[in-house]
Order: sequence, then structure tokens, then C-alpha cells
Amino acid sequence: MIYIGAEEIISPLGVTADQNFRAMVNNQSGISLVADAGLNKTPVHLSKITDLQFEHPFDSLLEKVLISLSEKIDSDIITSDRTILLISSTKGAIENIIGDQFGRSVAFIKERFSLRHQPVVISNACISGVLAINAGANFISAGLYDHAIVIGCDLVSDFVLYGFQSLFAISEKPCLPFDSERNGITLGEACSAVLVSNSPSVFREAPLRLLKGTSANDANHISGPSRTGEGLFRSVKKTMEINGISDQDIDFISAHGTATVYNDEMESIAFDRLSLTHVPLNSFKGYFGHTLGAAGVIETAVSIQMIRNDILLKSLGFQQKGTSVTLNIIEENKPSELKTILKTASGFGGGNASLIIQKL
Amino acid sequence: MSFITSYCHLTNKSCFVNGQLIAARDTDSQDSWLKQLYKEQEIVYPKFYKMDTLSQTGFILTELLKKANSNIINAYQDDEIALLFANRFSSVDSDVRFKRSYQEQASPSPALFVYTLPNIVLGELAIYNKWYGENMFAVLPKFAADFYINYVEILLSTGSGASLCGWLDIADEKIDAFLFFVEKEGKGNQFNIESLQKLAGLI
Repeated sequence: MIYIGAEEIISPLGVTADQNFRAMVNNQSGISLVADAGLNKTPVHLSKITDLQFEHPFDSLLEKVLISLSEKIDSDIITSDRTILLISSTKGAIENIIGDQFGRSVAFIKERFSLRHQPVVISNACISGVLAINAGANFISAGLYDHAIVIGCDLVSDFVLYGFQSLFAISEKPCLPFDSERNGITLGEACSAVLVSNSPSVFREAPLRLLKGTSANDANHISGPSRTGEGLFRSVKKTMEINGISDQDIDFISAHGTATVYNDEMESIAFDRLSLTHVPLNSFKGYFGHTLGAAGVIETAVSIQMIRNDILLKSLGFQQKGTSVTLNIIEENKPSELKTILKTASGFGGGNASLIIQKL
Repeated sequence: MSFITSYCHLTNKSCFVNGQLIAARDTDSQDSWLKQLYKEQEIVYPKFYKMDTLSQTGFILTELLKKANSNIINAYQDDEIALLFANRFSSVDSDVRFKRSYQEQASPSPALFVYTLPNIVLGELAIYNKWYGENMFAVLPKFAADFYINYVEILLSTGSGASLCGWLDIADEKIDAFLFFVEKEGKGNQFNIESLQKLAGLI
């Protein structure tokens, strides 16, 4: 069996998973209007960590989250010969370094924590985080390692913000996933980590079970979602089938929900094809914005916190049905015992990925 | 036991399939090297001209592998071929161009921005070939045979029938690309660290 836990989160809502989760229970969002941030000095809504005053913020966030995570697991795991570090990120330190945007950071972390193996950066656009967690579980199942530390991290940069502005994909208001008024993403920055392991005893707090996840390409368009949700449909179907999970078994879906018109519509079609429209669902983008390579990890971390705290968190920003298929979007926080949850992600390059976590 | 059933290399000067030189760059040509290769492929895919160097390289080399090994086209279901690619500098070529578009021309180019992710090449291959399988793009400090060996074995034991793998190092207009196709059955090069390093040109 593969276990997952020791989740940590650094975001505008706090520097620990606990702080973040308490803020979310209180309906707080990290999103605010930032003056001069956009192209031509326009104000833009962002979920930005305001006190990020480091020379190398990407490296420092990786370091900080790994220190926090190390306090939640057995002390010898990080330096073990049986541990691999996977870093999920789209643009790394792009704001400082164009070219080798991961090289220095990875070398720094390897040296700083005396890691035994070369860390692997997984850079698959917005599915990177879910893919990295799945890769960690795969490495362990194959007997190559006993533990995989997965860190997802991306920063808000001019590079990425201007890019999404050039695509007219940035929302004027804080993003509104699945809502009828949604009109684009809000970018966010965050760093989140989890430990995946074959040993439940290395976690200070009881872990959860991580089932095998899968990915599938849409084979449709490099930057536009599939109209049929084909890749998401295929990935979730495969993940459910290989684990013997039926649509009645799933208690909650942490959807991708970027709040672009086409993405959220695509997801609703895929979930309809999967007979999952009855399952309580949300997007966490209203709390953190779209944190790109960090999204899959941070959203899995929050999903784990929801299981631990027996609560369904609402889909912040959602008011009115905005997809052709009606989904069971969570409109108010409510206590609920959660056993099995599905996390999905979709992204540029046509990637889709999914994983399932269960309470033990 | 799995096998590397076909492979190819591309540098700035030459292109090899299964170790045989199949094309050399015509330095007098008006066309870029990748465009020269494209024209020799007898395919018409105008989208090729929109792609960045990373995607063009992955696309051309995949077409060459398909010619050399018909299994890639005929032997697998649409979701059975996994794509496992890696490089050292992510999408640096497009990153530099995109940054220039907003810093020097004050006009960020959406056509460049969409290529500033290394996995876009996987999307291009999936779209053209209608492949719905597993995808992963990793960034590593150098070609690491054990990374491919380990992860392909995982992919082949968890539902994928074959894996198209690539190392696409493209920076400062230097191309160092190596693509190889791994199948569970075949003949020739066994899929192990030694033979992969040998075929990659490392030993």
C-alpha cells in the first residue's frame, strides 16, 4: 500500500498547512488587487505572497517547505538512500534566470539537504503536480524507492502574467471557477509539499492511502481544452477502473476549475460522461488563484486536510451555474465524513491527470 | 525484458536513424535545418511552421521513427504509446523569444507564449498522431539513462504497450536530440542502461 501525508503549504494564506486550512474554513482568499503588476502597469488581481523578500525566492520557498515537511516525518527520511525528491514546476526561477531556470535551485536543494539522489523536475504545465505525486507512487510501487517527497512550486512572474494577459486569459475580477460570470484565471504563487511512502510509520500524523493515478492526453489542441473532455474522461476512467472505484464510491472531487470559460465547461462535460455530476465538487482556485505547477500538490494537500477535518470546503467565487452540465458544486462549507476523494488536473499541451486518496 | 526497437539522433549538422546517416544539413539552403528535413518527409502539416524548435525537432524525429518502425503506427491502441521526454533547459529557446517580445517590443506574443512549456512538444505529437496515452516531461541536469530505464519499465508494467522517449536538448540554437522507441517484444538492442548509453552516444 502507498501512503500520503505530511502535507505542507506556503501561500498568501499562511506558511503551514494548518494556517492555510483555517483561513480557508473562514472563507479567506489569497487574491487581492495588485497595483502596477500587469502589462503597461495595469492593476491585476493576483494571489501573491507579499513578504517574499528573498534574493532567490524559488530556492527559498523550496527550502522552507522542505524544512516544514521534515518536521512532520521521521528525521532520517530526507537523507535516506531510499528517498527521491520530485519537484513540480512550470517556470521555476524564470524571473531571475532565463535558460537554466531549475538547475541552480535543484543543485542548491540537493546540497542543502544532503539528498542522496538527483531530484527530478516534472514540468508538464498545469498537470505537473498531480503527475509528480503519481510518479512518486509509481517509483515506490516499482521498488525503486521507499519514499518520494513531492514539492510543487511556482511564482507569479512578469513572464507568466504577461503571457496569460496576451492570451486574454486573466480575469478582471478574482477568478470565479464554474460560475456563469467567470472570465479567466487569477494567477497565484505557492509552494506545497507532501510525502508519499510505503511505510505508514514514518509520518508523525496518520497518513492516508494514495491509489494509483494516471494521465491521458486530449490529442486536441496545445492551449485549448477539448470540447469533449476526452483526455480528462480517459484519465479519470482509467484511474477509477484500475482501482476498482465506482462513481458511487467518490465523496468529493477537487476539480481543476481554472475559471476560464472553456476549461470549466470541458470539465463539466468530462464529469458528466463519467457519471460524476452528483459528487460534491469544488475548485480551490478561488483561494489560491492558479498556481500552475504547484496547483496539483497544493490542492491535494488541502484535500487531505478536508479528509482530516471532516469538512467540505465551498468553491469560493461560485454563485450561479455556468456550465452546460449541472455539477454538484459546493456552495457552503459543511461538515461531512469523507472517505474517497478524486483530484484532477488539466493543462496546456493537452495533459490531464487524476489521482484518488482514501481515508484509512 | 524490453527492447529499443528504433532510435534516431539529430545534431545541427546531421540526422541519423538507427545509426545510419540519412540527411546532412545543406548549409547553402535558404531553409532552416529542420525545414530541410520537413520537406524531405513528404508530409503536409502546415502547423509545423508554427512550432518552436523543440516541437519541430520532436515532430520530425517521430516521423523518422515511424518510417523506420511501422509498429509505432500499426501495433498499438491510441492510448498505448506513452511519451516520456526530458531535457536540460526546458523551453529556453521559446522563453528567450517570448521575453524579448515584451521587453524589447513591448508586445508579449501569445503565439510564442504557448510554446514556453517543455511539454508542448508532447501535445503536438499527441495531436498529430491522435495519441491519448500517458505523458511526462522531466527536466534533468544531463541525459540520465537510468531515469528512462526506470520510468519506462513502470509505464510498460502499468498499461502502456510501448514508450516513445526523447532527450531534446535545444539551447542557443544548438540541437542535441535523441529519440528512441521501446517495446516489450522485439529484437536487437535490449533496453538496459549500457545499451541505452551506447545508443545515446555516451560510451
